[in-house]
Amino acid sequence: MKSSLSQPLLALGATLLLASSAVAAPQVAKTAVKAGTVITLTGEAIPDGVIVIEGGRVTAVGAASEVQIPWDATVIDQPGMVAFPGFVEAHAARGIDRPNETLDVAPFLDVKDSIDPVNFYFEEALRQGILTINVQQGNDTVVAGQGMVVKPFGMTVEQMMVKPRSGVKISAAPKRGKTRATQAQALRGAFDDLRMYLEEMVQRKKDGDDFDRREALYQGREIEGEAAKGKPLACSGWTIEGFERIPRGEVDEKREPLLRIVEGKLPVIMWCASPMDVHAALRVAEANGFTSTMTLALAPACWKAAPKIKDSGCHVILAGLEDDEIDPITGESVETFVPKVFHDAGIPFALMSTGDSNRSLWYQAARCVANGIPRADALAAVTTTPAKILGLTDRVGKLAKGTDGHVVLFSGDPLDITSVVEHVILDGAHVYDRSKDVRVKQLFDGTRPPGTASDTSAQEEWPGDGDGPEDDDETENKG
Amino acid sequence: MRSHSSRSNRRSSLRRLRHLGIALTVGAGFAAASQAAQDEAETAATSDLFLRANKVIVSPGKAMDNMGLLVRDGRIVAMGSELTAPEGAQTIEGEVICAAFIDPWSVAGVDASSARSDRVDTATRATDALDPYGQDEVLDDLLESGVLMMRVEIGRAAALSGVGAVIRADGAEPVLADAAISARLDTPGLDPVSRVGQVDRLASTLGGAEKYANDVAAYERDLKAWEEEIAKKEEELTEDFKKAKKARDKKVKEAEEEGEELKEKKYKEDKRPRPPKFDADKASLARAVGGEVPMVIHVEEALELRELLRVTRPFTRMRMVIAGGRSSLLFAEELAERGIPVIVTPAPSSAGGAVGEMDPGFALAGELASRGVEVLIGSGATSPVASRDLPLLAAAAVGHGLDQDAALHAITAGPARVFDLESKVGAVRRGLHADLLVLSGDPLSSSTRVLASISGGKVVHQAGN
Repeated sequence: MKSSLSQPLLALGATLLLASSAVAAPQVAKTAVKAGTVITLTGEAIPDGVIVIEGGRVTAVGAASEVQIPWDATVIDQPGMVAFPGFVEAHAARGIDRPNETLDVAPFLDVKDSIDPVNFYFEEALRQGILTINVQQGNDTVVAGQGMVVKPFGMTVEQMMVKPRSGVKISAAPKRGKTRATQAQALRGAFDDLRMYLEEMVQRKKDGDDFDRREALYQGREIEGEAAKGKPLACSGWTIEGFERIPRGEVDEKREPLLRIVEGKLPVIMWCASPMDVHAALRVAEANGFTSTMTLALAPACWKAAPKIKDSGCHVILAGLEDDEIDPITGESVETFVPKVFHDAGIPFALMSTGDSNRSLWYQAARCVANGIPRADALAAVTTTPAKILGLTDRVGKLAKGTDGHVVLFSGDPLDITSVVEHVILDGAHVYDRSKDVRVKQLFDGTRPPGTASDTSAQEEWPGDGDGPEDDDETENKG
Repeated sequence: MRSHSSRSNRRSSLRRLRHLGIALTVGAGFAAASQAAQDEAETAATSDLFLRANKVIVSPGKAMDNMGLLVRDGRIVAMGSELTAPEGAQTIEGEVICAAFIDPWSVAGVDASSARSDRVDTATRATDALDPYGQDEVLDDLLESGVLMMRVEIGRAAALSGVGAVIRADGAEPVLADAAISARLDTPGLDPVSRVGQVDRLASTLGGAEKYANDVAAYERDLKAWEEEIAKKEEELTEDFKKAKKARDKKVKEAEEEGEELKEKKYKEDKRPRPPKFDADKASLARAVGGEVPMVIHVEEALELRELLRVTRPFTRMRMVIAGGRSSLLFAEELAERGIPVIVTPAPSSAGGAVGEMDPGFALAGELASRGVEVLIGSGATSPVASRDLPLLAAAAVGHGLDQDAALHAITAGPARVFDLESKVGAVRRGLHADLLVLSGDPLSSSTRVLASISGGKVVHQAGN
C-alpha cells in the first residue's frame, strides 16, 4: 500500500503547498519567467527573454526589453538558464496501476481508472522536463482501452488531466497466444461485429416501424411517419442504410467507442511490431475509415514499411531509434538509424521514451541531431509533432501567447548532455526546483530526506516506498 | 556497418531499395549495379517489354517456333513471329519462353509463426500472414529459380486451417485471396482407430458446414417468400384503408356515445424469418463444401485415404485436392473417376516402410498420371525455401516416368486450373497476365538457366544483373 508519505510528497515536499493551491486555483497566479535564452519553437530563440503566465496561460513571450511584466507577478529570474516549452510524450504505457490486457476487445475501458498519480514515473517525467504525457494502455492487446493526456503533477487524476479520451490503443502485432494471421482476424472481427450489431439494430427498428404501419392501415388509423431520431453513419469505410433511425443513445455503451472510431471521432494509436503489421494496420484502418485519425506507434523494424506509411499520410511515433538486423549469411549486424529514414521520407514523426531507464526525450532528440537530422526537426519530434498528434497544437509543445503556462528551465541547451532541468513551471505554478529535489540530493550529496530513519537497515530501503522504485514501473512495451 | 562483399548484401540492398525507394549508404561495386538494375526494372514496369525466343511453350505440349511477345500494363498484348520490338521497349531474348512456375503447395512468403501455428480456424486468412519483409531473401531466391507464384497455407499444425491464397513471389502480393481451404490428416504416431476417427471428425465438420449453408439458403428462400407475402399484404391493406378508416370512425363514434374506450382490431402477420446465427468458420468452410473454392487435404497413408474417399462421397459439389498422397496409387482409379487431383512432392520411398503401390517413391507422379489422375507437383509446404526447388522436383518426376509435358503442366497450367486462375496465368497467351520465364533451354533441364523472370509484367530478375 502506498502510505501517505508517498513519493511526490517527499520529493516535492517543499513545493507542495504552493502546488496544491496552484492546482486548485491557477487563474489567480501571475508568473513571469526571465531567462538568458528562451526557446519558443515558433521561431528564433530569444536572448534575454521573458515569458508571462496569467491564469495558467502564457500571455506574453518576448525580449525583456519589449515585454511588460505585471507588477503583481511572481518573477523567476534565471539569466544563466534556458527556458523551453517542455517535452511532449505522445505515447506512454506507464503511470498506470496495471494495463488492461486480459480482454481482446475492450474499447470501453479507460486508463483514467488506472492512472496512479503517485507513480514514480510521473515524478521522474517532471524531473526530465516531460510535461505532457499521453497515457495509453499497453501493446499486448487487440483493441484496448482509451487513453488520456495528463501532466505529471497533481494529487488526483482529475488534477492531472489535460485531455480525456485521447484515443484508443489498437495493436496490429500479435497479442500473446495469437499469430499475425489470427491477430488480423480478431481485429477485423471486432469491426465486423460492430457492423453486424448495428445492422441488426437497424433491421429490428425497420421491422418494428413496418409492422406499426401495416397495423395502422389494418385498423384504419392514420399515423404520422416518425422523424428519424439519429444521424446517418459518418464512416468512410462502410455504411448502413437507415442508420438515422437509431438514436445514438440506444447503441450499447460498450460498443459505442468503436462506433466513434469508425466515424473518425475517436483517434487511434496503432501499435506495429514489424513492417508487415503496418500493412495489416493500414488494411483495417482503410476498411473501417479511420486512416486519417490513426497514428502509428512503431517498433524500430517497421522502418521498412516507410513508403507504405508515406502513402497513408499517417503520423508515426517511434519506439526506439535503431534497428539491428543480423545478415543471415555473413552473420554481421546491420544497423539502421530509424528516425533518419522517416525524416528522409518526409513522414512526420514523434519520438517516445522507451525502456525502463530511458525517460529522456532530450537524449533521443540529441541522437537524431548526431545522426544528421536538422536540430529543428529533432526538436519538433519531441514537442510540436507529438502535440499535433494529440490535437494539442495550440496548447503545448511551444511557447506562444495562449499556450498552457508550462516552462522548463534548463541549466544549458536542452539537447546538451550536461544540461539538467533546474525548474519546472506548470500552469504558472513553480512545481519543481532541483535544488529542493530530495531524491537528487540523496543520490548526489548523500543527504537523507528529512524525517527518515538514520539506521543502516532502513538505508537499504527507500522509506515510504513499499515496492521499491523499479517495481512502480512495470508497464513495459512489448516488442 | 554493412559489408559490401557478400551475396546477401546484393540481395538485401536490392530488396530494400525496392521497398523503400530511398538510397542507403552502400558502397560502389555491387550496390551501383543493383541500383542500375532496379532503375531499369522500375521503368520497364511502366513501359513496354518485348520478349523473343526460338521456342515459346504456349501450354504444355504446344510450342511455337521463333516468336516475339509484347507485354504492356502487366499483360501479354501481342504475340507473333513477325512481331518486332516497339521503339523504347526493353527487349529480352532467350532460347525458350514459358509460363512462370506455380508451386501449388507452399509456405513461402508467409510469416513463419502463422505458417506453423495450430491456432487457426477456417476463417483465418493466409493473406493476413504475408510477410514480404521477413522473407525477402527466400522470395528473391524464388524469382531466380522461376517459381513466381505459390499457393500458400497457414496453420500447418492444425487439423483444419484457414483460407489459403495464391501469391506472387515478388513482394508476396496476393493474386487470389481465397484459393482453398486446407485440412490435414497426417498426424503421425496415432493408433489406427484414432486415425480413422480423425477422418470421420473432418467429415462431420464438413457436414456441419453443409448444414449451415443449407440453413442460410433456406432462410434466404423463406425471407424472399415472406417479403413477397408482406408486400402483397401491404398493397391490400393500402387498398382497403378507406374502408377500414370508415369502419373505425363509426366505431369511435359509437364508443364515444357509449362512453367506452375504443377497442382496436388485433392485427396479426407472420414474423420476419430469423437468419441462422452467423458462424464465420462454418461460412468459410461451406464455400469449400459447396465447391466455390477447392478443399486441399493433406493425407499420406492408405488407411486415412480410403476412409476419406469413402466419407467425402456425399459431398458431390466439393472440389477435393489430395496433397501428399504417398499411397494414393492404391486409389488411382477412384481419384481419376472423381476427378480429384493429387499434389505430389517427389521423394524417395520412406526407408524401411511400405513398398510397391503403398509407397512408390519418385515413381508416384508418373504412375498416377499414367492411370489418368491429374498430377500437380508441389514443394510440400515444409519450409519457405523448399519452393525454390520446384523445377528440380518436376525434373525428378520426369526421371521416374512422368511425361515431360505432364511435368510442366504439374507446375504451370495444372495449378492455375485447379486454383481457378486459368483465365489469368499458367499459359502464354494474348490477354493473360505476363507471368513468364525467359530460359536458356528446356524448362525442366537442370542445366537450364532462368535468364529473366517477369512477374505481372515486371522484370523481377535478370541473369547477370
